[in-house]
Amino acid sequence: MSKYEYIPEPALVKGNHDFASITKLVTDVNLRPTPRNWYLAMLPANALLGLLLVSIGYLIWEGTGVWGLNNPVGWGWAIINFVWWVGIGHAGTLISAILFLFRQDWRTAINRFAEAMTIFAVMCAGVFPAIHVGRIWVIYWVFPVPNQMAMWPNFNSPLLWDVFAVSTYFTVSLLFWYVGLVPDLATLRDKATDKIRKVAYGLFALGWTGSSRAWWNYEKAYMILAGLATPLVLSVHTIVSFDFAVSMIPGWHTTIFPPYFVAGAIFSGFAMVLTLMIVARKIYGMKDIMTDDHMEKMNIIIMVTGSMVGFAYMMEFFIAWYSGVEYEKAIFMLRATGPYAWAYWIMMFCNVISPQVFWFKKLRRSVGFTFFISIVVNIGMWFERFVITVTSLSTDYLPSSWDYYSPTAWDVLTYVGTFGLFFTMFLLFLRFLPMIAIAEVKLVMPQGDPHNYDDETQEYHPHVEEVPQPKAVKA
Amino acid sequence: MSELTQKTYWKSLNELAQNKEYEKFVEREFPENATELSDGFSRKGFLRVMGASIALAGFAACRRPVQKILPYSKQPEDIVPGIPLFYASAMPFQGNLTGLVVENHEGRPTKVEGNDLHPASGGNTNAYHQASILEMYDPDRSKYPVRNGAKSSTADFHSFVADYFADTNKRVAFISEANSSPTYNGLKEEALNRFDNAEWVTYEPFGEDNSIEGNNIAFGRRVRTHYNFTNADIIVSLDDDFLAPTHPNNVEYAKQVTSRRKVTSQQDTMNRIYSVENGFTITGSYADHRMRVKASEMADFANALAATLSSRISGLNSFSSVNNKFTGSEFITVLADDLASNSGRSAVSLGFDYAPEVHAVVAAINSALDNYGTAINLLQVPHFDNQNNKTAFANLVSSISDGNFDAVVMIGANPALTAPADLNFTQALSGADEVFHLSTYNDETAKTASWHVARSHYLEAWGDGYSFGGARAVIQPQIQPLHDSLSEIEFLGAITNAGKVSGYDMVRETFSSFYSRNFENRWLDILHDGIDVTNGFSTVNRSARNVSPAPSTAINEIEVVIKPDNSVYDGRFANLGWLQELPDPITKITWDNVALLSPATAESLGIGTEDYLGKAKQPVLNIAVNGTPIKLAAWVQPGHADDSITVHTGYGREGIGRVADVSSESSQLFDPETTSGGVNVYPIRTSSSMLFAQAGVSVTGEKYSIACVQDHHSLEGRDMYRQATLAKYKEKADYASFESIHKYAVPGMKEAAELGEDQPISLFNEQTAVEGEPQWGMAIDLNACFGCGVCIIACQSENNIPVIGKREVERGRELHWIRNDRYYMGDKENPQAVHQPVPCMHCELAPCEQVCPVAATTHSDDGMNQMTYNRCIGTRYCANNCPFKVRRFNFFNYPKEYLTSGEDPDIIQMAMNPEVTVRFRGVMEKCTYCVQRVNREKISAKIETGSPKPADGTVQTACQQACPADAIYFGDLTDENSEVTKMKRNERNYLMLEELNVRPRTSYIAKLTNPNPALVKETNEEYAH
Amino acid sequence: MSTTESKNLYGILAEFKNPKALVDASAKVVEAGYDKFDTYTPFPVHGIDKAMNLPKSKLGYIVFGHALLGFSGAIAMMYFMSVIDYQINISGKPFFNAPAWVPITFELTVLLSAFGAVFGMFFLNGLPKLSNPLFEVERFKKATDDGFFVCIEAKDSKFQADLVRQLFEEAGATHIEEVYEQ
Repeated sequence: MSKYEYIPEPALVKGNHDFASITKLVTDVNLRPTPRNWYLAMLPANALLGLLLVSIGYLIWEGTGVWGLNNPVGWGWAIINFVWWVGIGHAGTLISAILFLFRQDWRTAINRFAEAMTIFAVMCAGVFPAIHVGRIWVIYWVFPVPNQMAMWPNFNSPLLWDVFAVSTYFTVSLLFWYVGLVPDLATLRDKATDKIRKVAYGLFALGWTGSSRAWWNYEKAYMILAGLATPLVLSVHTIVSFDFAVSMIPGWHTTIFPPYFVAGAIFSGFAMVLTLMIVARKIYGMKDIMTDDHMEKMNIIIMVTGSMVGFAYMMEFFIAWYSGVEYEKAIFMLRATGPYAWAYWIMMFCNVISPQVFWFKKLRRSVGFTFFISIVVNIGMWFERFVITVTSLSTDYLPSSWDYYSPTAWDVLTYVGTFGLFFTMFLLFLRFLPMIAIAEVKLVMPQGDPHNYDDETQEYHPHVEEVPQPKAVKA
Repeated sequence: MSELTQKTYWKSLNELAQNKEYEKFVEREFPENATELSDGFSRKGFLRVMGASIALAGFAACRRPVQKILPYSKQPEDIVPGIPLFYASAMPFQGNLTGLVVENHEGRPTKVEGNDLHPASGGNTNAYHQASILEMYDPDRSKYPVRNGAKSSTADFHSFVADYFADTNKRVAFISEANSSPTYNGLKEEALNRFDNAEWVTYEPFGEDNSIEGNNIAFGRRVRTHYNFTNADIIVSLDDDFLAPTHPNNVEYAKQVTSRRKVTSQQDTMNRIYSVENGFTITGSYADHRMRVKASEMADFANALAATLSSRISGLNSFSSVNNKFTGSEFITVLADDLASNSGRSAVSLGFDYAPEVHAVVAAINSALDNYGTAINLLQVPHFDNQNNKTAFANLVSSISDGNFDAVVMIGANPALTAPADLNFTQALSGADEVFHLSTYNDETAKTASWHVARSHYLEAWGDGYSFGGARAVIQPQIQPLHDSLSEIEFLGAITNAGKVSGYDMVRETFSSFYSRNFENRWLDILHDGIDVTNGFSTVNRSARNVSPAPSTAINEIEVVIKPDNSVYDGRFANLGWLQELPDPITKITWDNVALLSPATAESLGIGTEDYLGKAKQPVLNIAVNGTPIKLAAWVQPGHADDSITVHTGYGREGIGRVADVSSESSQLFDPETTSGGVNVYPIRTSSSMLFAQAGVSVTGEKYSIACVQDHHSLEGRDMYRQATLAKYKEKADYASFESIHKYAVPGMKEAAELGEDQPISLFNEQTAVEGEPQWGMAIDLNACFGCGVCIIACQSENNIPVIGKREVERGRELHWIRNDRYYMGDKENPQAVHQPVPCMHCELAPCEQVCPVAATTHSDDGMNQMTYNRCIGTRYCANNCPFKVRRFNFFNYPKEYLTSGEDPDIIQMAMNPEVTVRFRGVMEKCTYCVQRVNREKISAKIETGSPKPADGTVQTACQQACPADAIYFGDLTDENSEVTKMKRNERNYLMLEELNVRPRTSYIAKLTNPNPALVKETNEEYAH
Repeated sequence: MSTTESKNLYGILAEFKNPKALVDASAKVVEAGYDKFDTYTPFPVHGIDKAMNLPKSKLGYIVFGHALLGFSGAIAMMYFMSVIDYQINISGKPFFNAPAWVPITFELTVLLSAFGAVFGMFFLNGLPKLSNPLFEVERFKKATDDGFFVCIEAKDSKFQADLVRQLFEEAGATHIEEVYEQ
């Protein structure tokens, strides 16, 4: 027996499924009558959504003053939440696009899911820049549309770059998602029995037949989109980080921000996907498709990105010291020891310490534990944004203007409200759209590959790995 | 950076880290949340406050304001809509006039400036003068006479007094504010002649009575001590805060003192100021040497000083035997040497409220030093009563309560509030059957009067009077009285000659008596110039007779010291939102009075002294003076004398107005302490304790939140504020340059030098100045600024800046366009306090501009950083990116409530400066370098000369024009000979945060101190910055 | 479905049992020289493009065109707005502030390309096309589930119903039927 032992790649789809059963498994969720629990879940979600609308209404009625902002601290929870949500919104397109380019077939289990999450997260994010301005009724001035002042926006402003970046990101993610959906919508159209579904799904399927000539262009388009989306994902959070990095406030004005924001975004994004996936696959019994192997792979990514973020934190300190700029040095000491030290150490624990547990395979594969960490990580990432935004502003150059910032009830309620928006959208998605890319899963099933068929009989026989045997060395 | 500040730096941080924040976090988060939930109400609260402060008004305040405007059907002469007119007038304060020039728009006064022909003003003003415009338009002002609580009219009043005072045997007690008006004092004589059984007492709660009595002891004459600090090389202030607006002559004094500290070259000299005081006063913060002495020990100190001097100069032998804790102390010895070697060129001054005996001692010292005639003058003031008014007042009150008077006539003054508590003034009044009271507000005294008469504002009525130094002037009304009110002379006139005589006739008559011939022209000149004679008082030349040491008043336990407040004085300005919200020059507290005590005393009482960021709830003290307690929030004041507590008067009012009243409107669920308006401390001020008293002090469990605009008081060893001693300056002229502080050049300059450029290298070739346009710049002389804060009020008045109320200030949303930063330096027990006014820096490469997504803040051709309100969408990014944090945001629609509230908002709107937009909710605002004034001058220059460059000095920003220290220079940088260019060429000129290369147009002239070498400690070495 | 002669033939549809069979079949169809035919699968099948010898997709060019449009459009817009139409001095920066324009240029390029890719693809595939004779075939519903179909259209010059049927049978079709136009 050889000293080598071959461990084959785990199958992407567990259980013995054929094409039909996969189709059934996924489409049933959308086609069967709405379960009672779905309504039960929708209730709190809508309640929170209502809360969001109320707090936004009150904000617009009274003015920005209902938030806890003050003179040095012009940005508070609103911007923190914006960055946080956008960060979460990165996993989706990233999983789809980058993993697609890298031919990581395991993505098929979660990409639909993750993309949906992306779109809803970006929606939640989009709420904040819109409402945080003092005069919401003229927010449209940030777009280059002709107006009574004959003025144009200021293209030097990172905030304006943000407008373009985030809206582009949202549009492209939406298209990407929709393109992926078209074949599955066709499947639903053909599976549907009642008129309304037939028509609705049929409409959005655009009359897709599954023609190979269509597939031919389709795959090309999908590949190009993936190629476009990948740099886009990176650019978007880079530009979000510019909001800080391009300013001149100590602790903001750092070149490390773009990479470290992107790492953080992937970090929190994957965590969020896990949180949702673990719940959804349990409820909808998708364990066969969203397997523990997927979970493990994602945990590894979380661990890696988490460590990258941790490295960035230390690098910031080092550079602050190395630069010799007294304001830089001061702000980082203040973060760790100053009025907001509590927030800093929460961040450190959640983002840097907690993911390290994934060095252990046992924990990587433990569902409950992964779920817990995935939440801890997102708390940590929220605090990272808090530390960056608030500490730098509250204690910047002139000690005379230093002031402490604390949120008001309305800051908190607005944030909580966005979860209402998110989950409402997500529940609608789970109910009415295939949460798994059916066609893509079939594609990566062994049965999907003609090479796994006998040339003569055309019968399916799974392809066996050639285990290389080491040659015996002559004495 | 200095070792020492460095230490305190980390120290304070550790303190911050000591889990204080965790508690604070919990403690803070929830109350705040809760407070916000009921924000609707709370806004009512502070908007109610705003209601009484005109700065909030303006036509842009509603989103779509509907205002009817009417054209002149007949164009009045001289009035061109949009072109302001300026008329001379003068403001009386404690009976002393300060000459003013009042800006009128279409017939309504909108702003007061100093009258440079008037010696008490010299063209400048103090915060009270600036805020007086607000007083006239105050909707809470008394609007009509009140007869036994019912609305009445001046007509009724006239007819009533006509027959009531027909009987000249009426026993009448007159209680009057200090008033220097010749007309008024003429009427006073008439009154005393007319009523045989009349008595007249002049009552001022913080008047100069004691100093007059002191002079009476020393010189046998009731004369006024008038300093001429320009002739004083050495100034010793014994707790005399002559730089603060609370001093009736502070503008003139400030000009004199600062004029001797304007250093432009290494050859120049400076005066030297010693300050001996218990609390931290503005004067103390401006002094070169400051010694902490309990108020109750001031007598001992004065004696000891005289004693120490007696061995050096003649005339103080009676003190040679004095021996107390101060004799032989290093400070007093050095001080005595310095004085002795500068006799004839020095001045020792003492706070008004110290006992006459102590004033006598100081008089003796000055006399022995030959300072009279040079640095000090004794003025024979014609209108002084020939009696000790303090005792006279006490006697009068008791005889009133004994029923010896039929009528009490009070002209101004508010004794029901301010009279010594032990006199029970209010009860005493019940002894008389008629009580007449003339006052601006329906105040505590007015409520006790059977006849309250609304008093005309000085801008509404004719009057006259003398300045502190004796300059005679006419008070010229700018507008018809807004309400049914009478001026002092009209009121008194009605009572004495029982007939209605117009103020104008009376004043004119008085002045015609001064001039036998050619009166008409003279009269016109007087009205035009706003000044008649510059010196109307004759000087007395006497030397002090043998003055004996003042009796010691030392208190060994904790003393409480009662002083008039910098903002609201004795309470008369309590309803002026501008002053209420003006941060105290030293503590930076708004809206409240506190009990100031030293860190050591605080610790002995068990009060924490570490400073942390954020809303700090202050522990409330119980301060009892012989049995009478008051509750007041404690505030740790570095540099305060130990075992001494300073409290300020004028707060804790009821039923005065929306601003003054103690309101718990803004108080919130979970947060009952958030009230504003402070605490009334008069109950502990008795005849025996007019200035200080022994106090029993205990810490109550309660907490009270204080709205302070500066939460951090150490410079953290940073270089925003730079200073050196005069000696150091003479060694090293450029001590304040970036290089001499950091020991390396500004980043990018070396490379630039190689390229032969004078600005740090940059990616872009920047466009900073446009040819043919003036380039505006400002320089602020830190050596002149003593931190009074008049610039803030002047700016507020000029630029229609709202008052936002205590809760908003508490949340750190102060809206002032120019702020005055105050840092403590040196050791914690007795630090140096420095002041630094910070307006917008108008950076040439303004970081705020490039981050605005909608280009709402941009750069003008004449180099100003401009804010376009109606383009602003309110992202607040510009404020975040401003390294100087000078941008201010309208978090709420501050003006709106105001415009729609109050009985007659139209009156309020009249005070607005029509040349400045009122900002709507959600937009950013900031200092504009008074762009409206700049453009007015640019236009007229263009019309006259064809060039948009006005002559130097024609453009003055509001802050610059008001500043009595002339600390602010503003002008065209393209003009090689403009004042500002000259200042910027000075070696002491430096830029804040120069290394950021934002190229501020506002620069600072580094501070100089002139310590006595004999007292210089090594610690002064760290004064590099 | 009964053969009512009134309707005219659209083509003949054959189902095959698995991807492999389909690939082989389509190869045969090409051999036989048909070109108006297509195969229908629930997912893109490897190698079918060779078997059907499909031409290279033109999508690339469409996307590139859009990319150029986005890139030049972005620069043109910003240049017009901040250099030509309304010059404003911002922080003393030059009006043509190239570095600051990079992000927006990039974003708009990506945005336009994405539009090109998606709508170009739909255009090339003739979508949306909501009515299609194939949808009339009940069995064709499997095409989006687990069915693998070939359809030779009547339009084809070589089309002869019986020959086509024969071809399919030889190729081992599990089911054959005519498809009629509406």
